[in-house]
Amino acid sequence: MKRTISTLAGAAVAALIAAQPVLAEETLAIGVSDALTGGAAVYGLPQANAVKLAASEINAAGGISVGGETYMLEVIAYDDKGNPTEATNAVRKLIDRDGVKYILGFCCSGATGAVASFIEYEDAVMLVGNAAERSITTREIPNLTRTRPPADYTGAAAGAFVAAKGHKRVAVLGALDVGFYASYVDAFEKELNKAGGEIVTREAFALKDRDMTPQLTKIRGLEADALLVVGYVEPAAFIYRQSVELGLDLPRYGFTSGSEEQFLRVATSEQMEGVWDLRPTELTLLSATENGIAYHENYAAAYGISPSPSSPYAYDQTYALKDALEAAGTVEDTAAVARALRELAVPDEVVMQYLPIDGKMFDRNGQAYTSNGAFQWRDGNWTFVQDLPSDPVAYSEFLSTLD
Amino acid sequence: MLEVRGLRAGYGAIEVLHGIDLDVAEGECVALIGANGAGKTTTLKTICGLLAPKAGTIRLRGREIGGLSGHAIVREGVTMCPEGRQVFPQMSVLKNLRMGAYARSDDGQADDLERMMDMFPILRERAHQAAGTLSGGEQEMLAIARALMARPKLCIFDEPSLGLAPKIVAEVAATLGRIREMGMTILLVEQNSLMALRLADRAYLLEAGEIVLEGTGQELQSHPDVAKAYLGH
Amino acid sequence: MIEILQQIVNGIAIGGVYVLIALGLTTVFGILGIAHFAHGSVSMFGGYLTFFLVAGQGIPLVIAIPVALTAGVVLGMAIELLAYRPVRKASHINAFIVALGLTMMVEGLNLEFFGHEQVVIPTSFDRVFNIGGVTLPELRLYVILAAALLIAAMTIFVERTKTGQAIRAVAENRDAAILMGVNVRTIPLVVFAMSTALGVAAGIMVGALFAIAPGIGEGLVIKGFAVLILGGLGSIPGAIVGGIVLGITESLAAGFVSSAYKDVIAFLVMIFVLLFRPQGLLGKAS
Repeated sequence: MKRTISTLAGAAVAALIAAQPVLAEETLAIGVSDALTGGAAVYGLPQANAVKLAASEINAAGGISVGGETYMLEVIAYDDKGNPTEATNAVRKLIDRDGVKYILGFCCSGATGAVASFIEYEDAVMLVGNAAERSITTREIPNLTRTRPPADYTGAAAGAFVAAKGHKRVAVLGALDVGFYASYVDAFEKELNKAGGEIVTREAFALKDRDMTPQLTKIRGLEADALLVVGYVEPAAFIYRQSVELGLDLPRYGFTSGSEEQFLRVATSEQMEGVWDLRPTELTLLSATENGIAYHENYAAAYGISPSPSSPYAYDQTYALKDALEAAGTVEDTAAVARALRELAVPDEVVMQYLPIDGKMFDRNGQAYTSNGAFQWRDGNWTFVQDLPSDPVAYSEFLSTLD
Repeated sequence: MLEVRGLRAGYGAIEVLHGIDLDVAEGECVALIGANGAGKTTTLKTICGLLAPKAGTIRLRGREIGGLSGHAIVREGVTMCPEGRQVFPQMSVLKNLRMGAYARSDDGQADDLERMMDMFPILRERAHQAAGTLSGGEQEMLAIARALMARPKLCIFDEPSLGLAPKIVAEVAATLGRIREMGMTILLVEQNSLMALRLADRAYLLEAGEIVLEGTGQELQSHPDVAKAYLGH
Repeated sequence: MIEILQQIVNGIAIGGVYVLIALGLTTVFGILGIAHFAHGSVSMFGGYLTFFLVAGQGIPLVIAIPVALTAGVVLGMAIELLAYRPVRKASHINAFIVALGLTMMVEGLNLEFFGHEQVVIPTSFDRVFNIGGVTLPELRLYVILAAALLIAAMTIFVERTKTGQAIRAVAENRDAAILMGVNVRTIPLVVFAMSTALGVAAGIMVGALFAIAPGIGEGLVIKGFAVLILGGLGSIPGAIVGGIVLGITESLAAGFVSSAYKDVIAFLVMIFVLLFRPQGLLGKAS
């Protein structure tokens, strides 16, 4: 594991400090456990970068003031490879060795679930980002919050949208051995059934599969009227490419959250034309708010590459943590900070467009909700077309009934 | 043709041959007889380069070949028809014969192939069959023909009659006789000493890694020790 | 009916890739008795190299491919000389360990030079042919043709040339081959050069058709060994038949049984074949 300390805005911070009268200045270390290498790094590395970016911005703006003291953030990021064992080790190391109390990142459900299973008993607060598995927020763990809505929240909205398009026979091709993709499809199916439609087949692929022609050929023979693709960007890109090569003439819907660059590495823009992505309204330039546009610029300037659409989940965690620390008035009492997070209004600086529950960013499960959007590939870009019919209040109620 | 002097060889630390002198003159058929474990096969392996000599010299037409690797010795003109036939079982008879001429680059190979198939009509019949499907006697004929395909200066036969039916043994003996008549220089190793001594111009008796007797085939056949121990009189 | 034909066509392209991998493995196994595990990673190296030349250096594909194949020949000879030759006379477990170590080393080098990101070799072949309802993308057609060409070239080389016959002879009976005058020190070099070039070709095909990423090579070499066992250890025709059979089986299994179990079904078929023919489809009973 690599230990990286953010020194990005070092110069800016130094200038700021020099200009001000000497204040009692403390450093607060915050941790990141995320996939910095390996297959999940497409999601994890941008998240770690986003936390570092937010921390440097906060430092440059004068740090966090808690009980008369000013704290500068220091980010310690460890690579958990998206793997449960590695994530457990990384978090143990952060808590036991580095003395960190606030841990961010967490792009992947397996790794996140492993840490969530013991974080309740630690003197720490865990802020989950992109991991979409529902069960992470069903146990009302008091010291855990999550910025990304669960997959089935989005799946239900997607199902209602596809049903409203008039499709009756939907073929599914997905990474169905991954829990949250399966739950997306389950919620999707429920909404589709309500409208009298059905899923005609559930075809699966494994993470390393790149040849989807057998599954697509089968689907071609089923007279489906729509295709739903759920899975990671890379296999999904091959599905879109090979569906065209097989002459599969169906409307294609997906749940992948990949950037344009990521898809174009595999498929041509022509092969992607018309594909829908039904997902939380994450960062896309065409749908971005002012915050979103600024985030995109700053991130690109700092790392020389565009941010991934889901990376703001981690950026927003950092600002939520800042506000909660300031509201709680302590950096030591993690229980107070955790309570403050649950009471928090949506911070001004966030990038994603959260739908507050009772005016609060996180519901009592610790879950935040964004709107869901229908994006379509048009001429080489993901274009925001419309909001999906999402109901965060109803979903939040439903989530509270689960355990 | 072949001149072996003071040859010592063995496996690892164990010495099997304790200094052997042996000559084969041009056009001569020389037999090497002896009991199991006397060192006959070791002698041949050393001459053919499958085993490195520990001491002594092996000269072919005056050129030292001792210690050369196996394929280089083949190129010097020594070919062995190995014990147990060792045909290439999945290759056709024809391809086995062509492999025999592997070390040659002249253009007489096609003619030689015809000659071999005239000499062994059964091989022509079975030309496209996999060698592994041939009977033991047929495989022996193939192994002999394959060895001759190399147009060797010296052709070594290692136990050509081993494991064959008596009728086939007679056939093999007749074949070797024909090859001898063709003027081929032959070194023959046989457990079937009677057959070997009948064919041979001269013969050596090997016992426990040393040459104990030497003479014409006729002389050895009538030598009382040989007769008693090896010819079963 | 169309669906079955389409699935068979789908399976042939990937089957061709399996054949190329298995041909390399089977000749190496036949000659040296080595299970050359690093073959998959070496083949991925070829794919990465081609990607680097095409996407990184802007070299046209028609030039990049021969360059990569040549690099494969050199790499193959280097592997034989530096990795396997020193343990040739040692016990088999040594070669086994060298093979495992070499796999990790090549995987590591790939990661070091080319990174952990998935790469796809860009080609401009994006036409799709439709023959009576069966669609065949241009790229797949070229992959099938190229695989067929290479398989034919290799078969001709082994069956019709002197060196090829020597390779077979060494595989069938090493001592007898020496007695025929075959230099058994140069033959393994030729075999590794040829095998690695075929592996590189397979890597390029995987890279253009699908993608190259860390771990793909391991999956490929496992499939290669499955083909080897299915077709018969050391048998060249066995590798050809076995590879095509495995590719089509996988495709049909995914299409008609379940895509979640396509690998399982392919291996079940393999076990089933071995129950009735323990020596493999075209292997010789011993």
